[in-house]
Amino acid sequence: MSAQTIPFPTAARQPPRSKQLLALLPGTLLLFAIGLAGKALESLGIFLRAHHHYFPRIEYVLWAIILGLVISNVFSVPAIFRPGVATYELWLKLGIVLVAAKFVFADVLHIGGMSLVLVAIELALSLTVMTILGKIFRLPPKLTSLLAIGSSICGVTAIMAAQPAIDADEQDTTTAIAAILALGALALFTFPVIGHLLHMGQQPYGIWAGLAVDNTAEATVTGALYGDLAGRFAILAKTARSAFIGFVVLGYAIYWASQGQAARVERKALFLWQKFPKFILGFMALSILASLGFFSAGQLASLGNLSKWAFLPAFAGVGLRTQLRDLVTQGWRPILVGVLGEIFIALITLGMVLAVYHHGAAQ
Amino acid sequence: MESPTRKLAFNVDAAAIAIALTFAALIRLNIIHRITW
Repeated sequence: MSAQTIPFPTAARQPPRSKQLLALLPGTLLLFAIGLAGKALESLGIFLRAHHHYFPRIEYVLWAIILGLVISNVFSVPAIFRPGVATYELWLKLGIVLVAAKFVFADVLHIGGMSLVLVAIELALSLTVMTILGKIFRLPPKLTSLLAIGSSICGVTAIMAAQPAIDADEQDTTTAIAAILALGALALFTFPVIGHLLHMGQQPYGIWAGLAVDNTAEATVTGALYGDLAGRFAILAKTARSAFIGFVVLGYAIYWASQGQAARVERKALFLWQKFPKFILGFMALSILASLGFFSAGQLASLGNLSKWAFLPAFAGVGLRTQLRDLVTQGWRPILVGVLGEIFIALITLGMVLAVYHHGAAQ
Repeated sequence: MESPTRKLAFNVDAAAIAIALTFAALIRLNIIHRITW
């Protein structure tokens, strides 16, 4: 999440900045069109059901994802749209920063602090288990490292941050990313069902989604599918988890350097800052402003609504970038290691969240 | 899509913070009065 200032794909001569930005337009419009179509379908459903017609009871979040999944998996996304589809990350982070206005900063410190403790335990256990699973199923060691990093912290972002640091090859990186994205898509459809079966409250469910689902986008959606409040708490827990990215990647970089298979990290503090997801600073800044009474209640409501508008294209992007066929084309061993590891992480985080809320440690 | 990790030509975190704070300022100054959902 930290090193996005990277030139456009590897052309010998870069096009001018204006052309690069213009190239983003079609895909960005596609994201908004899908998001708005999802919102329109939700409204259509409400209208039709009110007039005694059948229409599936599906919220805009799921409609946007379904439409994106259908377009990318049935029709494939034309090349002209692809640069702009990547802007889903901007809308996602914009939504996250804006939603901070709905949090009192004391809650951010309290719930975020509690999440940090849970994340630390989750990290230690999941990194260990993924490493053991990788050895059992004889995955290449660096692929195991990438899968462990991706599943324990923040998915694709963590893998991308780790790739140069541990000098992983392209094939391992592609495999790890495909596995993490495909598994994230499965979480979207399984977590809300489990949450309802266990009658989980909005807050514990949101914390669970934020702790267990790998990618920030999928964690946000998995929370939002359960409810607005759950979505916000998923973001808070996920943000706390993302803050660990630098430390974990640094640990792996030092390990692989000690094996003579990666470059040494000379300036560790700079390395940590480069890997730190900076949007967290924006999240905290807006939460502090809101807590200091900088905004009226109506203005806070407007900021909350604006965050929903920002999430709309981000949700569409989650569907558009998910390739379900990757579940079968990446080979069964990385997927199996991923599935087993994810089930383990989901179970231990669920156990921790239920224990914390059962004992009333979090309110 | 062959590349789910395509990078953008600008810093996403900085852009997200800048846009969010700009909107927050416009709303605080009542230049934008209300955003509905």
